[in-house]
Amino acid sequence: MKKKTRFSVGDWVMNIIVWLGGLFMLLPFIWMVSSSFKTTEEIFQPATFLPKSLDGGNYARLFSNWPFSRWILNSLIVALLTTVLALFITSLAGYAFAKFRFKGRGKLFTILLSSTMIPFPILVVPLFVITSRLGMTNSIIALVLPFIAPPIGIFLMNQYSSYVPNALLDAAKIDGAGDIRIFVQIALPIMVPALASLGIITFINSWNNFLWPLVAIRQELSMTLPIGMANMLTGVSAGSAPPYGPAMAASTLVCIPTVAIFLAVQKYYISGLTAGAVKQ
Amino acid sequence: MRTTMYKKTPYFFILPAYLVFLVFMFGPMVFSLVVSFFNWTGIKSPKFTGMENLKGIFTDSVFWLSVRNTLLYSAVSLFIVVPLSLLLALALDSPHLRGRLAVRAIYFAPIVTSTVAISQTFLMLFNTDFGLINRMLGIPIDWLGSRSLALVPVLVVVIWRWLGLTSIYFLAGLQGIDRELYDAARVDGAGTLQRFFSVTLPQLRPMTFFVSMIILIGSLQIFDEPQILTGGGPSNATRSVVQYLYLRGFTQFRFGYASAIGLVLFIAIASFSAVQMRLRKESDL
Repeated sequence: MKKKTRFSVGDWVMNIIVWLGGLFMLLPFIWMVSSSFKTTEEIFQPATFLPKSLDGGNYARLFSNWPFSRWILNSLIVALLTTVLALFITSLAGYAFAKFRFKGRGKLFTILLSSTMIPFPILVVPLFVITSRLGMTNSIIALVLPFIAPPIGIFLMNQYSSYVPNALLDAAKIDGAGDIRIFVQIALPIMVPALASLGIITFINSWNNFLWPLVAIRQELSMTLPIGMANMLTGVSAGSAPPYGPAMAASTLVCIPTVAIFLAVQKYYISGLTAGAVKQ
Repeated sequence: MRTTMYKKTPYFFILPAYLVFLVFMFGPMVFSLVVSFFNWTGIKSPKFTGMENLKGIFTDSVFWLSVRNTLLYSAVSLFIVVPLSLLLALALDSPHLRGRLAVRAIYFAPIVTSTVAISQTFLMLFNTDFGLINRMLGIPIDWLGSRSLALVPVLVVVIWRWLGLTSIYFLAGLQGIDRELYDAARVDGAGTLQRFFSVTLPQLRPMTFFVSMIILIGSLQIFDEPQILTGGGPSNATRSVVQYLYLRGFTQFRFGYASAIGLVLFIAIASFSAVQMRLRKESDL
């Protein structure tokens, strides 16, 4: 038996490659943050890793030249609303499919889950027509509604509901509790880890969502962060230099919350992702 | 399985999910399939034109270019990201890796970053005159303005963002392999490489398939990265199928034509998903 602490040549090579690759992975983060503190002059000079001095000008301009705080607020409202509604809708459905016997259960479940086969981009034209006919163009609600019944969420909740012991449900029933009370007071608390996983994933997806808000939102004040940011660079009038500094400040601020959430609760995010892939 | 006295309750419980499904997924999907047989700009009433749109896209050279680009994105994702992420997962699973938590965080964090923010960052990194990449190479390469090179930055962003995600799946797969299989192979005298080829790879086969499908289905829908980095240019050299759908639908408002592009995309993705679901059922049950 080899000693565990002894490094073979292969182990050295592995460590070196993985860490070098890690530097490459970190590079965009370093560049993003470092550029956000560079002055405009510095940005348009040959690239350097670090700024000469920490200049907060890009952040100040970001909030004064664009409605950036409004975009943050819009993004927060959309992401939180989507998350809360998705948790409510998928937990109800997933639980019903796991714990009730009813006519058509299997078929209804399969149909609902088969919506994973629908690629979102093909829905963009009809969703645009529907929302504009309903007068919901530029409305935040239009950004929320298409994403509040994610099939992966229903699948996850269904799997997790089956861990709720039937004996517990039957006992509550004998005590005279109704189905809704049993669901809220007994099933939901047991499903908290699954709710956490789905909640984090839904929030992050919504926060980063680009294609649908790009189509549905035209007014600057109704934009979410990704759309507003994209507009900062593409909306430049010909001849003037693109505002790279403020764009990097915006990118930094947009990435901080999701990366922070991920680092803090990696376990839930990863278990949510792999729930569909690993056999239980 | 428990029986209930209230036969209506389960239907009430699944009702919200079904409403959303019907109104925002299934309904629009049918709508989109129907519209692809019409000429419609959204203003005048739609005119039925049969197969005109489909015929149109099949002779549309820009459409085929976008198909080629998209398939290239998919192929690179499959043949670069999948093997790389398997190797990464093996490293992350190894007890000899130093600073494992930090390595995990560094490789996984890109998954949750905004595609727009990251694409803008790479837009600067690849800038001809003041980008870091040309500075390090020492030559002023026009990455984003060249028809042959513009695909590179897009692919770099794709690899950067997807590597961690797929290695998470492989890591979960590795941790699910029965340790006794390795012990048995060791008793039989199998070395590290032999154990990898006779135990690890065959055991990971279902996961490899699953990961490949996820990557394939995801990359066929690529939009954000080329949209920010190149806007599809120069002269459509990086335009993906979804970008072309967006261009026809929302800058030219040719809804019928855009929907026909969507129809082709739908058929491709639905058939891949169907294969994936069937195979998963077979391996699961």
